[in-house]
Amino acid sequence: MITKYMTEIAVKFNPFSPRARSARLFLSYLPPTVRADGTAISTTLLPRTSTEPASLLVKFKDGKEMNLNCEEIGIKGLIEEVDRHSRALHKQANLNE
Amino acid sequence: MPPRIGSSTSSSLRAAARGLSTKTSPALTTPFVPVVSTLNTRPQTLSTQSPRTYATASSIGSLKLPDDYVPPTQPPSARRPEKRKSQLLRTYTSLLRSTPVILFFQHNNLTTQEWIAVRRELTVKMREIPQGPNDLVNYSDFVNISVLTTRLFLHALKVTEFYDPVAAKNKGERWTHDLSKAALEAVTEAKIEEESTYAQLQPLLVGPMAALTIPAVSPVHLAAALSILSPSPAFPAPRRKKRMAYHDPDVQAGLAKLMLVGGRVEGKVMDTDGVKWVGNIEGGVDSLRAQLVHVLQSAGMGLTNALETPGKSLWLSMESHRSVLEEAAGGGKKAEGEGEEKKV
Repeated sequence: MITKYMTEIAVKFNPFSPRARSARLFLSYLPPTVRADGTAISTTLLPRTSTEPASLLVKFKDGKEMNLNCEEIGIKGLIEEVDRHSRALHKQANLNE
Repeated sequence: MPPRIGSSTSSSLRAAARGLSTKTSPALTTPFVPVVSTLNTRPQTLSTQSPRTYATASSIGSLKLPDDYVPPTQPPSARRPEKRKSQLLRTYTSLLRSTPVILFFQHNNLTTQEWIAVRRELTVKMREIPQGPNDLVNYSDFVNISVLTTRLFLHALKVTEFYDPVAAKNKGERWTHDLSKAALEAVTEAKIEEESTYAQLQPLLVGPMAALTIPAVSPVHLAAALSILSPSPAFPAPRRKKRMAYHDPDVQAGLAKLMLVGGRVEGKVMDTDGVKWVGNIEGGVDSLRAQLVHVLQSAGMGLTNALETPGKSLWLSMESHRSVLEEAAGGGKKAEGEGEEKKV
């Protein structure tokens, strides 16, 4: 996963819900240095009784915001969605060099 | 290569061969010793005594392979014992049976340095807690956080919940340990209900998990661990002045990646709020017991009072009535006596 162009990641989920799986795995896919590289990460844990869907918000350096519903997209889908924009930004950065 | 058949095994084989030779062919009186010596590794060679039949473990009742026989195609594992799955499973089942407080953390790519730093801070904080007056040992030495193999841990959870070794023993199973066939069958056949601990914990144990284990329900230790690993207003982290090392970049980076997701306290599954509630109990289990005793006592007092009052009031009214009657009767007697006296 390309995390270089992300400025903010906000994850919200109820850990007792089986459908929070992809949101939780997304966090585990972030490289160890992602916070030191300047990406702000915030995690909100919902209480056990909550029925609010798991959500993921990713903000990119170009200002794009991605609001993803983790209930329906699996971890591969999430990474694909995020990487699609990251790759475009990467290409742009390479052309500007 | 280690010997595959132990001395006890070879002696049992020898005994079996002796039985065979006497039973099948009395004419075959050749000494069986050389045969047995070649038997050491391959028991199948026994079939040389009667070439048409193939002696297998099942065909000859007395020639059953011992339970600790290691087949040559499956030599003993060369992996480090503590890394073997079987050993890990045993560790987990014993942990689940013996540890009342387990907190589950999701760890997102902590580096080794960060793990070391976090563990150091936890140990330092734990050592600050003195041994309680009722504690058998100092629990602080046994509080630690370790990374779990999640799938194996879930299986261990199933084994501890759905498998009863005593029942299996009564059924006539020879091996009833956690790695046995009986345990596996019990687990695979188990009907998992929604209220079971396993069903509640299964969605929680997803992804990279670590477990903090505390060997007793000790809210003091729990609160201390929470203040280090997942600080919140109720459990504040140590101040910079008090513990400088806690605010090292390594520790802080590590803690940012550790996320408390839930716990299991005395067999009950709890979310983060539940865990914090347990950590908030002042004075531990003893104080809870004292509170319960107090509640029960006061309830008993109230009950006895309530039951006593009508009887008491009845007694009082009867007593007053009796005294009134007695007075009246006494007066009458007096009057009567006087009358009698007068008569006499």
